[in-house]
Amino acid sequence: MSDDNKSKTPDALLAALRRIVGVATEPRVTRDDVNQAMIRHWCDAMEDHNPVYTDPAFAAESVHGGIVAPPAMLDTWSMPGLAPRPRQESSSGEEAGMVPVLNQLDAAGFTSVVAAGMSHEYHRYLKPGDRLTISQVITSVSDEKQTALGVGHFFTTESNFADQQGNSVGRMEFSILKFKPGTGTVNMDASALEGLEKMPRPRPAISRDTKFFWDGVDQGELRIQKCNSCDGLHHPPVVRCPGCGSYELGYLVSQGRGTVYSFVEVHHPQFPMFDYPLVGVLVELEEGTRIISNLVGVKPEDVETGMPVELAIEATDPGLSLPLFRRARPARRESTLLFADLEPGQELPPCPVAISRTLIVAGAMASRDFQDVHHDPDLAKKRGSPDTFMNIMTTSGLTNRYVTDWAGPEVIFRKLSLRLGVPNFPGDTLTYTGQVQSTALRDGKGVVELLVTGTNKLGDHVTATVELELPTP
Amino acid sequence: MSMSFAGQTAVVGIGATEFSKNSGRSTLRLAVECCEAAIADAGLLPEQIDGMVGFTVEENHEIDVARSLGIKELTHFSRIHHSGGAACGTLHQAAMAVHTGACKYALVYRAFNERSETRFGAGVQGLDNAPTPIMVDFGWCLPFGLLTPASWVAMFATRYMHQYGATSEDFGRISVADRRHAATNPEAFFYQQAITLEDHQASRWIVKPLHLLDCCQESDGGQALLVTTLERARDLPNEPVVIASAAQGSADDQQMMKSYYRDDITGIPEMGLCARQLWNDTGLGPDDMQAAIIYDHFTPLVLPQLEEFGFCAVGEAKDFIKDGNLELGGRLPMNTNGGQLGEAYIHGMNGVAEAVRLVRGTSVNQVPDVSNVLVTGGTAVPTSAAILSRAG
Ligand SMILES: [Zn+2]
Repeated sequence: MSDDNKSKTPDALLAALRRIVGVATEPRVTRDDVNQAMIRHWCDAMEDHNPVYTDPAFAAESVHGGIVAPPAMLDTWSMPGLAPRPRQESSSGEEAGMVPVLNQLDAAGFTSVVAAGMSHEYHRYLKPGDRLTISQVITSVSDEKQTALGVGHFFTTESNFADQQGNSVGRMEFSILKFKPGTGTVNMDASALEGLEKMPRPRPAISRDTKFFWDGVDQGELRIQKCNSCDGLHHPPVVRCPGCGSYELGYLVSQGRGTVYSFVEVHHPQFPMFDYPLVGVLVELEEGTRIISNLVGVKPEDVETGMPVELAIEATDPGLSLPLFRRARPARRESTLLFADLEPGQELPPCPVAISRTLIVAGAMASRDFQDVHHDPDLAKKRGSPDTFMNIMTTSGLTNRYVTDWAGPEVIFRKLSLRLGVPNFPGDTLTYTGQVQSTALRDGKGVVELLVTGTNKLGDHVTATVELELPTP
Repeated sequence: MSMSFAGQTAVVGIGATEFSKNSGRSTLRLAVECCEAAIADAGLLPEQIDGMVGFTVEENHEIDVARSLGIKELTHFSRIHHSGGAACGTLHQAAMAVHTGACKYALVYRAFNERSETRFGAGVQGLDNAPTPIMVDFGWCLPFGLLTPASWVAMFATRYMHQYGATSEDFGRISVADRRHAATNPEAFFYQQAITLEDHQASRWIVKPLHLLDCCQESDGGQALLVTTLERARDLPNEPVVIASAAQGSADDQQMMKSYYRDDITGIPEMGLCARQLWNDTGLGPDDMQAAIIYDHFTPLVLPQLEEFGFCAVGEAKDFIKDGNLELGGRLPMNTNGGQLGEAYIHGMNGVAEAVRLVRGTSVNQVPDVSNVLVTGGTAVPTSAAILSRAG
């Protein structure tokens, strides 16, 4: 069975892989029951503050009658964790499911892996204490294909999730590319990533009087000079409070929230140390002063005077951090939208997500995904990626969050399918936008379909369709 | 501040080099040539000049200019700050100097190869970041890619558009009027090259919302003026052009190009301060001006200047412009030389010279029956303005 795969011809490899297609694994009980700790970890990583996941009192009064798990966690419950791949076989002992496919492809040199898409169907929300059983089947294996990332095979799986009563709770289709690193048609080394290797920006000249400001930026704070005597704010800093005459000047740490007071888009001349399009912005901070900065993660044509923005201190160059701003994350809706509120064509408000290294690692851990490309930059490079990148489950978690933050805590997800495009690398901003595609009453239920897109500076990262159920009073 | 010498001094000579994109000679040579021309225009000799007033950004020291000109003894020499904001400030300084007796004949000059050598439009680059005051100030904008005057001015323009509903076309009408005036001025770089509003709209973006044709040209050239007391002026060959008043202005929370922290950034309070001084000193008002030279390095900042001087209400400059008021034959023919967009960018000094010609009646685009002409200095910086008038 597991003879030397490296000696296999491509045809023999494909034949071996295709023997696994259609053979369902013996149902296996997941490692852990649905539990609050993993839910909380997930919500922390995704910054998903929907109280139905973590607030027992709120959840008890909700449509769910108690705490539920975020629907996008579905396949997290079946992940093996940081343990060797378990054996997967059918009840009659044949090779079955994803594990033998991964093993055979690894052995044949297709060692890199990237998710291409996934589709969840939710039959009911999961609650702490639910004990799931999963059965998986490979539904297809592609011929060898030349892709942008490398030469590889796509394969798809279908997983069925049942609860302790044997009732189906969800279904997942998952599509993966396994490829040979270094055989891609695009150069994915570091220099292909904009912004990583370029001339440094002009550095601020820092005087004794302005040092507190730049020290603050280095420590991740936006400091605004504040008079210790009269509380007057002064930016750029002064040396004596013109309001009361005091030389006792301290600072406050801005909450980093504000609105666009004015903005410009620099076209000419352009300089190699900046990314264009470049939006210069004058932000009016909630504390009452203004500051010159850049707006990042927003297309110039989408910038408007008055638009809410939030601070994003970013390391723009080696040894230089700057207080930049991005579009503010829209406020989470506290009461759920009604079906009648929606009609096709309606837009969801754009929502930025800062792709920090922490988010990438925390999302991978929260989804029990220990693939090295999601946490180890050196190994990610060996596998043909310029850096670590976000895993698909984090993308689905963020998509889940984006939609519930807009629709409200008690919206019910029926389906979430997503197709991945360009990767999310650290330091970028993912901006979600969405639109209502259709609304329909089915069996007295208000069913709404959304199209959601998440873009970063490399292009479209995710295109998702979401089917929701909304209250119909 | 009221000027005790209002109406007591005069411009008696003007002189300029040609305006080009490449002068082919040193800025010292340009300075000396234009000064010599102004001295000659005044009917004076270099050895009679005993005062010199320049810009702090002028690279040619008065002593070097004086040495080549054959000026012997100087009893007053001073410089005015803030680039184009100094345009009428030099006039103000020269008037004070001659009125107080610090000197008798003050020569004012500005010369540069701003196109062929040091282009401001190329952006602030390659300076080290030692914490000198100017670099500390630049530290608030350079790291964010705002390296050019256009980028700093555009920030005011976006807010003005937002607040008053002005459009790029409203800005464009300034450019079109300037270029129409330049088209009939043989000294203008854009002589015989009028543009349409469509040309303006089609010109490429520099810093949105500024199109290329919202930005003044970059020029090589020199411009000089000669100032003395009205009493001495009456003995000279030219009809004196009286400095009815000249004023400088720096307003609350003034910053260099980036006074972005005031409650409102759509007005130009430092120009409003100049306006109050000019009206107070002269007893004149907007209705008494037959023409105006309005500093036009970037078109959007022409609008609030018209408002600060009361030619129209705040926020209504766009309508004032649309009504054709700035054209020849309009209510306030503006920048009859073509302005800095059409004639040349000499830090506003060529505009002061055009105001002198308008009062003398010698502009190529002469406005009939001129008694008083308003001229303004550079905006977004501490600035200046003056009223030049026919001698009574
Ligand atoms: Zn104070």
